[in-house]
Parts: sequence; structure tokens; C-alpha cells
Amino acid sequence: MRRFMAEQVVSAGRIRRRQPTNKVSESIHSVNDKAGQTLTGWRFNLLGILFLFAGVMIVIQLVRLQFSPERNEFVSQGDQYSRTLHIFYPPRGDIYDRWGRLLAGSTLVYEVGVQVDDVENVDTVAFALSKVLMAHPEYDYPGYYDEIYAVIIKAQKSGTAYIQLADFVTPEELSILQEWARNYSNLPEVDYGKVGRPSLSGLVYRPRLQRYYPENELGANVLGFVNREGTGMFGVEAEFNDLLAGVPQSIWMTLDPYQVTEIPQLKPGVDLVLTIDREIQATAEEVLDNALEDSGADGGVLLVMDPNTGEMLAIATTPRLNPNEFWNYASVFKDSTPYNRAISQDYEPGSVFKVLTMAAGLDDGAVTMETEFVDTGSIQIGGIYIHNWDWGAWGPQNMEGCMAHSLNVCLTWVATQLGAGPFYQYMQNFGFGQVTGIDLAAEASGRLKIPGDADWYEADLGTNAFGQGVAVTPIQMVMAISSVANGRGEMMIPHVMRSMVRDGFQYTPTPQIIGHPISTDTAQTLTDLLASSLEGESSDALVEGYRVAGKTGTAEIATPTGYTSDATNASFVGWGPVKDPKFLVYVWLEKPTSSPWGSVVAAPVFRDMVERLVVLMDIPPDDVIQGLANH
Amino acid sequence: MENVHQFTQAYSQSPWRKQMYMIGVVLLVLVSIAIVAGIYLNVTARAAAVGRQIQEMQVRIYGYHYLIGEASDSYVPIEELEQNISNLTSQLAYLTSYQVMQERINDLNLDPIDTAHIEYLEVPGYIERQETSLAPPPEPMVVNASTIDPEFKESLFDWLADQVRKTVKYFSEAQP
Repeated sequence: MRRFMAEQVVSAGRIRRRQPTNKVSESIHSVNDKAGQTLTGWRFNLLGILFLFAGVMIVIQLVRLQFSPERNEFVSQGDQYSRTLHIFYPPRGDIYDRWGRLLAGSTLVYEVGVQVDDVENVDTVAFALSKVLMAHPEYDYPGYYDEIYAVIIKAQKSGTAYIQLADFVTPEELSILQEWARNYSNLPEVDYGKVGRPSLSGLVYRPRLQRYYPENELGANVLGFVNREGTGMFGVEAEFNDLLAGVPQSIWMTLDPYQVTEIPQLKPGVDLVLTIDREIQATAEEVLDNALEDSGADGGVLLVMDPNTGEMLAIATTPRLNPNEFWNYASVFKDSTPYNRAISQDYEPGSVFKVLTMAAGLDDGAVTMETEFVDTGSIQIGGIYIHNWDWGAWGPQNMEGCMAHSLNVCLTWVATQLGAGPFYQYMQNFGFGQVTGIDLAAEASGRLKIPGDADWYEADLGTNAFGQGVAVTPIQMVMAISSVANGRGEMMIPHVMRSMVRDGFQYTPTPQIIGHPISTDTAQTLTDLLASSLEGESSDALVEGYRVAGKTGTAEIATPTGYTSDATNASFVGWGPVKDPKFLVYVWLEKPTSSPWGSVVAAPVFRDMVERLVVLMDIPPDDVIQGLANH
Repeated sequence: MENVHQFTQAYSQSPWRKQMYMIGVVLLVLVSIAIVAGIYLNVTARAAAVGRQIQEMQVRIYGYHYLIGEASDSYVPIEELEQNISNLTSQLAYLTSYQVMQERINDLNLDPIDTAHIEYLEVPGYIERQETSLAPPPEPMVVNASTIDPEFKESLFDWLADQVRKTVKYFSEAQP
């Protein structure tokens, strides 16, 4: 009964299948099943073994590759397809004059190339580029068309994706190319035969910035230039290249869209504000060019400095290069002519050096203003005789007379009174024989022979006293004389960088004092002496309304056979106003032909410069200042 | 009770129900996997599309432009705008350069003034020309030591010593 109920319940409306009862058929099935299972089991085992073997081989290969010598090669090959290297250059910093006028900025230029797969007509691309760029200074050669054509065909064969065809293309040239491209795209769809449809398809461009100098040649010797590789050459551009250029960043840009690489936020290069005054620089260059024309000199330098701080207001030299066309460098600077004579060319300065000899003598106490010297026309030292510039004897002279008449014999005597040791110690304290540290590239150190050097002789003390036998640069002279001109005896480091703008802040370094070679009293005494001597001689350097101090210089130029040439270096150094010096002007004319004397060719240049300088610097005449003081 | 047991046993042992159960479980797993895969595909596809857009924008920044047939200039990357600003600044500098200004002076028949024609007057309160300032000077960094919490200054040993001291003090004060 219970079983029946269970069957009833289990069936639940279904008829339960009866179990087979045939024993024979069951046994036959059993045999077949076993055979089948054996067969199936064998096959499955074989398959299993095969798959296991394959799996093991794959694992072995994976492990082998990880430790194989080719691993790095495979990794690099994979990287080539998964990412590309991009170098991001920050914009180069600008350069301004002291009043914020742009001296060096940036302008747009374009790199032009082709996406090789997109090029439809190689001939058109080569023709268009060679025609549009025929006036470009780098692509104006006859074979440019053939070169483009060959490069594109070669790239097509090799499967190269992109090739650059031109760089530094101007916006005007690019506009012409774009116009040509539009015209070609509007051509009618006709059969163009074997030459194919003209097209500039595939030609692409990329904008970027190039250095630009809006003032052209103005201040070029101070600024330097930036070459095609973006590296600063000469001047400020070279000296501050790292700061101006900023820090480029190389980034591997992934091609996987799931791993987009962030483009770095680059810090732009540092902006520089120079001590140079554009108006004074332009005036100095104009005055110098006029002086070269009038005197027939080979070259020249005109420096303007604020002796109180060492700030260079103008550095005018010749020749000058338009930095926007720096590729003309070789044709402008011939025969090893330095880019900036003021810092890179040493010369024998002549009598302007007497200022420093007298400063040393007065400061040491070897001579005083009242010391008298009887000039007999010659003096013997180290076995040679020193004579005056006119070979004359000037009789009894005080120190003012010695400077006013620029007596070589007297200054040689002052040096002997001082002694070789103190004399050269003073000259070293004035910075001769070493670089001044001005923040311009390629500064020369000159040469100051001192006792103990193999080529120093006692006679050198005599010749050095009046600026012969010593090699100095104009910037060294300016730095040394700044200690006299500022009336404090403090020697200021000449510099052209006034401040820098970095990370949104303007940093202005404090002017640096490099030394204190003479006392304040000596500086003021010597300034008065030189002002009086100029007035006593009615020098061409005198400026109406302004009391200035200064000294002329005429130096013979050494040749391989001695001082046998008639050529001279004519110089003048002066500063003013004497009561409150605002400027120090240094003039050097190399090999003037109209007259060899500094008093004739260089002194008027100083006057011309100062007459315009006092206007540009808003310096009232002495009587006006005196009147205001008495008011 | 026995009936219930038999009832449960009867249903649990039913082969077709077991089969249905297994099919249901497998289908549930499959559907779950399909849903997860669908969501994953949807999200990754959108991420890939956005990634491609970003890459295209990056190409606009560091990449190349075709001579014709590109999108309008309404979308210009910041880098190109900065390049244009630099370019315009340089052009402006050229237009006000010394050489160009001299030409304008000549065109206007103006002569540079010389010292003889300058009249100097005393002007109370006159401020002379100031040199350029392209940016503010850096602010001096003032660090007030008293505002720095000891946690930022003390060493581990200082901290341990301080804790021991505080603990000793706490217990000493807690004593009657």
C-alpha cells in the first residue's frame, strides 16, 4: 500500500518508464559500451596529452623569451608600435632693454613636409616647393627640385611615413603654398595623361617659433644670436642659453587610446631685462659709425657704463651682424674678427692706462699732487730709454702736468717710485690679466706680465706704466677705471643683465663690487686732477655746461718686427659730471688714418657721445644743479 | 512527516528537475557574464573613443596640418595661441623699433633736441622715469617658527620622550 502510494506520488501525472528487463541485450550493450569507452578514453587521453604538451611548450617558450638575449630587441620592437617619442620645447624667453622694449622675441615659422602615403603627384610637390622657396636663403639652389623629387620617391619605396622637406618657412611663403594647393584642388576632373592630376595632397606643415630680433643690427654684439639648432651663440644668448631656452621634455606618447599620455606643462624660458638702454645703444652705434667714417679707422668700440653700479648702458662695436640673418656671420666677421671687440679683443691701450698708474702712485703715497718731477725727456729703465710722445723734455712738472701732457717719462718715474711689486699688485687688483666676469660669452682675459714670468723684464715696468706691453680688453679698462670714476674707489663688476623674470617673479640682483683697489680720497683726487688737466689743455673732449674728467690714449701697435708700424690705437676714457658721476664713456678707434692721436680722433667722439648722452639720461648742466642746490 | 519527506525526496530526485536546475544555473552564469561583458565593452568603447579624441587634439598641438581642408580656426590649441601672441608681440616691437621710429621722425621733419634747447625746471613732486617691471618681485619667505606644530619638527625620540613625560605627569597628578 505504501509502495503504491509512493508510485502514485512520484508519477505526478506521468507514467514512470519501466526499466529494461532483457538481460541479453543488456549484456551486449555493456560490452559495446566498454569497447566504446576504451576507444573514447584513448582518444581523449591522446588529445589531452597533445594539449598538455602544447601548453607546456608554450610555457617553456614564454620563459625562454623572458631570459633570451633577444628580449630587449623584442621589447623595443613592441615599443616602436605602441608609442612614439616627442620632444616638447618650451618657448624661448624674451630679452628686453632696461625700459621694457623688446630686443629679442619670437616669430612664427613653419616646418613643411609630406605624409608620404597621401602624396598624389610627386612632381607637383617638388615643383611647388622649389618655386615658392626659390627666394628662401636656404633653398635657393638649383638642385632643390631634383632633391625633393628623389627624396619622396625614395620614401615611397622604403615605406617611410613622413619626411621633412623644408624648415623655417615664413608665413608669407606658407600662404603662397596654401593658395597653390587650393588652386590645384579646384582643377577640373579631366584626363591629365601621363603626368597625372596636379595636386599638393600630402604636403603638411607644422608651426613653431623662431628667434626674432625686431631691432635688427641694434645691440647685436650684446645679444648674440640663436642658430638653427636653437642654441644661443655669443653675447647674452650664449651666456644665458640654459635659462632662456628652458628645459625641453622628452615624452613617450602612447598610441593606446586607453593610456593617453598627458602633454607636459612646460615652464617657458626665463625673460631677461638688460641694463642696455636702446636709445643710448643706438646713439653709441651711430656716433661710433660716424667716428669710423671720419677717422678712417678699421674698427672701434664705444662703451657707456654707469660707474656707480657697473651697469652697461651701451656696448657699441664694429662690425655688426643682423642676427635675423646670422648665416652671414662668416662674411661679416673676417680674419678672426671677434663678435664683440669690447670683451674679446685685447690690445695695448696706451696712455689711458696712465690713469691707473697715477691712481696706484697716489693711493700708495709714492707721489702726491704736489710732487714735482723734472722731465729731462728720457728715463732709463731695464736697459732701455723711455721717451715722451713728442721726444721732448717738459722740465719741472707736477702730477697734473704729467697727466695733462701725457708724459711717458714722468709716469715711468712714478712706477719706479712705486716699485715693481706694488705696481703689479695694484694692476692685478684692478683686474688685469683675468676676465672681468661680465655676463657675456667669449670674454678674453688679456695678458699682464708680472715679475717672475719668464717673459717679464724690468723694462716692462716702464712701458706698462704708460699702457704699452700690456694687453687689455676695453671692458677691463672700463671696470678698472670705474673705481676712479664713481669717486668711491669701489670697482664694480660690469654687467648687462639687470633682472630676470622667472615663474612670475622678477629677480633683480644687487650690483656687485669686485674690489676696492684705491681709496675714496684717491678716486676723488684723481678725478679732480684729470678734470683740471682736460680744462688746462682745452681738450676736444670738453662738454659745454658739464665738468668731465678724462684721459686720451695713443698706443703704437706691435708687429712681428716690433713697434715699426705707423698704425695706432686711439683711445679716450672719460666720465662725468665730476660732482656726481652718472656715466663712464670709453672710446677705442683701431688704426685711424686721419690722425694717429687719440686727442684728435677719440676725444671728439667722447664729446659727441656725452652731448647726446646727457639729453637721453636727463642730466642737467652743472650750473642748473648748482642753482637748484642753492635754491 | 514521512509524507513530507517522501514528497521532498520525490521532487529532489526528479532528473528533469535537476536538469532544469543545472540549465538555470548555467544560464544565470552566462547571462551574468554577458551583462558584465556588455557593460565592460560599453565603458571601454567609450573610453577608447574619448582616448582617440584626446589623441587627435594632441596631434593638433604637436602634429601637422594639411595645407587645405582642415577644420576652421575656431578651435585653436593654447600652444598655437601662445605662438601667435609671441609673433604679434614681435611684430609690434618691430613697428616701434628704433629704426622705424627714426623713419617716422624723419617723415614728420622732427629734429633731435640738443642741450642748448633744453630748459630745466624744478617741478615739486616730480617722479623720474621708472625702470621697467615685467613682474612683481618675489615675496620674502617669512617662516614663523612658533606656528609650526611640533609634530612637523620633532624626531621619534622627542615624541617618545614627550609621551613618557606626559604619562608620568598624568599619573603623578592623578595620585591623591
